[in-house]
Amino acid sequence: MDLLIQTLINGLILGAGYALVAVGLTVIFGTLHIVNFAHGAFFALGAYATLLIERAGAPYLLAIPLAVLCVAAIGFALEATIVRRALYDQGEHGSIIVTFAISQAIVAAIILVVGPDPLPVPSPFGQTAVSAGGFFLSAQRIFIAAASVAVLAGFALWLRRSVKGQQILAVSQNARGALYSGINVPLIRSLSFLLGIAAAGLAGALMGPMISAFPTMGDANVIVAFTVVILGGLGSIGGAMLGALVIGLGNALFETYVSVSWTPALGWVLVILVLLLRPQGLMGRAQLDRH
Amino acid sequence: MTDITTGAPAGRARGGSASLKGAGLLALGIAAALAAGFGLGGDPFLLNLAGYTCGFAIFALSVNVMLGGLGEVPLGHCMFYGIGAYAPAMAMNHAGLPYEAGAVIGMVVAALIAAPIGWLTLHLTGAYFSIVSWGLSGVAMVTALNLDVTGGPLGLFGFSRLAVGPFDLSRPQTYFFVAAAILLAVLVVLYHIRGSRFGRAMEAIRQGPHLARSLGIDVFRERLKALVLSAPIAALAGALSLPYTQIVTPEVMSVLRTVDALLAALIGGVGLIFGPAVGAVIFTILPQFLDLDPNVKVLVFSLLIILVMVAAPGGLHQLWKAAAARLSHARREDAP
Repeated sequence: MDLLIQTLINGLILGAGYALVAVGLTVIFGTLHIVNFAHGAFFALGAYATLLIERAGAPYLLAIPLAVLCVAAIGFALEATIVRRALYDQGEHGSIIVTFAISQAIVAAIILVVGPDPLPVPSPFGQTAVSAGGFFLSAQRIFIAAASVAVLAGFALWLRRSVKGQQILAVSQNARGALYSGINVPLIRSLSFLLGIAAAGLAGALMGPMISAFPTMGDANVIVAFTVVILGGLGSIGGAMLGALVIGLGNALFETYVSVSWTPALGWVLVILVLLLRPQGLMGRAQLDRH
Repeated sequence: MTDITTGAPAGRARGGSASLKGAGLLALGIAAALAAGFGLGGDPFLLNLAGYTCGFAIFALSVNVMLGGLGEVPLGHCMFYGIGAYAPAMAMNHAGLPYEAGAVIGMVVAALIAAPIGWLTLHLTGAYFSIVSWGLSGVAMVTALNLDVTGGPLGLFGFSRLAVGPFDLSRPQTYFFVAAAILLAVLVVLYHIRGSRFGRAMEAIRQGPHLARSLGIDVFRERLKALVLSAPIAALAGALSLPYTQIVTPEVMSVLRTVDALLAALIGGVGLIFGPAVGAVIFTILPQFLDLDPNVKVLVFSLLIILVMVAAPGGLHQLWKAAAARLSHARREDAP
């Protein structure tokens, strides 16, 4: 029973981390109609940026926002040079290849600049464990969960309350309609891309101390994020949050009760099953290109 | 290898007496392969690399059946390549079968697996198909890591005899000639398929699935046929990599392998029969001669591919074409 509760808590915290990655992915898909295969690379960039800024002497809590800014700046450069030119209103197979190539380039650049080996990301929460009611939690996990929930709640509120947020929702519902109502659609798309990338960078900065930084660290996460996003219905933000919790719980339960060495396959199997059986997501409408 | 580079300019100008041109290209390819095989001066390393490049070119051709033929990005195609590499390795190490029997088994298994996979997944298109395809290769990789038959994370090595009939593939020159001959055979097969009813149906589907369906083409069935055709070709490529790598590990199914093949196909041109093979040669030989670090290579080729997709989605030869068109256009504007 204790093991079950401990597993459930770990799963929920894991899910909160996934939600950050997944929400970024889903915002980009919703407004740009691009499945961003480079999302994992930006996740890794977030962790490495945190690491490098910390090495320069900044404390972890200050390094996080700075790292997010760095990732957003790189995302902005890529958006202005490549994404905007090549991908908007283009066929899907172009965006898959280009975002994949961006991801490859970023990973190769990380290896060339920093090196291929895993590096620990120092964090003041790193070594401490908090015990509550007989259950142990690492302080870093609690921090991840708290920060993700705070950022996601703030983002959801911003989407509902602010003009820009409403415009993002409008573009993702119907880009042409939004254009006709006077919304600057290209600007909103660039903004969404930046927000999505920044969320991935933030997730990397938060998860880095837990899993340490290595160049392909984003791969496993982005795969889970695909599952989450598809499970929640591509483009649906609430769905992504719900999906993330479901997958986080599923992963933790599988790891504890079935097998650790097969856990990497679980994400894949889930994403395949979801796409084959319920491509419209848990609560979304059918929005799949089927013949 | 050089056969393909020289074959490219001729392949660029399509149309006209196709079969005659096809035969001419084939003769050119054979001549160039012979020249390369004897001309590399018996350097075993280069000959081995050239043999491996031919195998990689076959994989790029297989990927391009999906990419250039259907307009899908089959990220998980490395799974079939992996099946093709594991099959002869398992046949030799566990069953005592000869290499070529294992390679054939691998091709059959790949086709048999491709059929149900295609039946389940080819209803999906675009990013959805790519994600599921990637997912299946991920499952295959984890499976290879966890099973005993596949040797787990260490993989399989120490093969008894890598030979096709009387041809000993452990001799670099023989390896190159066998691989080049198989590559040419695959090219001939694909060339004939492209001109066939099935090839034209694929082209129609790529250009517009809805229009193709309205013309009476069974879109799903043709897509399935394309996957079942390309899977054994990928497996063949995997089997041909063994003499070069001498080992099979789960890494063989890494999505990076598919990405390499996609890059090769895109650089060479997805619309050309020869394109992926040319791209494969550029992709493997050039970094070798420039002595590039593997990561610099990935960086350079990733940026190159972005450039290709932004400026010339049909392949690098399009840049040349576009420049020529602009030049003649400018001249025409000068004239009146």
